[in-house]
Amino acid sequence: MTTEMGDAGTGVLEPWEVFRQEKDGDPMRHGGSVLAPDAELAAHYARELYGRRQESVRLWVVRRADVIDLDDPDLLQPPLDRSFKKPGGYVMRDKLAAAREAAGQAKPKARNR
Amino acid sequence: MTAVAARPTALAGLLRSMADDEFVIGFSDSEWTGIAPILEEDIAMSSLSQDELGHAAALYGLLATLEDGDADALAYDRGPADFRHARLLDHGRGDWAMTIARRYLYETADAVRLAAVGDGAWPPLTELAGKIAREERYHVAHVELWLDRLARADGEPRDRLVAALTALGPDAGTVFGPLPDEAGLVADGLLDAPMEVLETRWRATIEPRLRGLGLPVPPPTRDRDTSRTVHDPAFTELWSMITSVRRSDPGATW
Repeated sequence: MTTEMGDAGTGVLEPWEVFRQEKDGDPMRHGGSVLAPDAELAAHYARELYGRRQESVRLWVVRRADVIDLDDPDLLQPPLDRSFKKPGGYVMRDKLAAAREAAGQAKPKARNR
Repeated sequence: MTAVAARPTALAGLLRSMADDEFVIGFSDSEWTGIAPILEEDIAMSSLSQDELGHAAALYGLLATLEDGDADALAYDRGPADFRHARLLDHGRGDWAMTIARRYLYETADAVRLAAVGDGAWPPLTELAGKIAREERYHVAHVELWLDRLARADGEPRDRLVAALTALGPDAGTVFGPLPDEAGLVADGLLDAPMEVLETRWRATIEPRLRGLGLPVPPPTRDRDTSRTVHDPAFTELWSMITSVRRSDPGATW
């Protein structure tokens, strides 16, 4: 097929990531990717794959090579307990149960509504 | 209901020429579906072709308000001799360079024509032309990208593009072939200038562009008077494909 189009000129196909916004105010969500030799054709192909049925009001098209890819578990999934960094704070249930047992107290009953 | 036009016959001729152009190029370019050079371009070309067929359906729909019949009958129940598309579109899709050359010549001409009917006196057509122009602007952008890439790729892509433009050249201007009662269309404000003037506008936009890329400029139009009335036998083949399913069971409810 490439001979019909010519091998020279347009260069190598590379992946571009496409993000789409369904309606004004919505967050940009990853839609998928296209293969294209340059930014202009990537924009056209993104429109055809992710916008031709009026399903998007905005597209972002980013060369995949320009995306900073972080997947190092030491950065993202550190082995130590980091639950204190979460909005819910420490998980107290197990500590409370141990303290009650040590003090010989029962768990309080749920309050009647 | 659509507003009444002062000159329904002349208006019908204009609508038919525009609708047939979009119908024929839409069908012809849709032949790339499944066999385009890369998947993304396959989808893009298929989508552009569907746009053209959509424009044809809308234009046939307007035509049907002026004449008896519906859009499907206008599209599929006429014989090949009754089609009024430009002879440029009798040239088949050919190779990729031929498709790009044909699309470039047609889309740029169509843009000039849409602008010329865009401020016309019949609101249904001006409204539709405005909507079509919004999509066609994108079609022109797409084919301009490809023209540029093929022209700048030395060797086979450029050679094929030059060969395609040379083959199409004498028929390129047929999009601006004469229309029935063209003077009436201009007098009534349905068309802002005669077709010959539109052709001059079109040549003024494409010639600098083609020269800038070192590509051949279309020569004067061959057999201008029969631009839309005498078709190449190749069109009969295309027509028989277009209408084959419909003709397989005439009058059937699909």
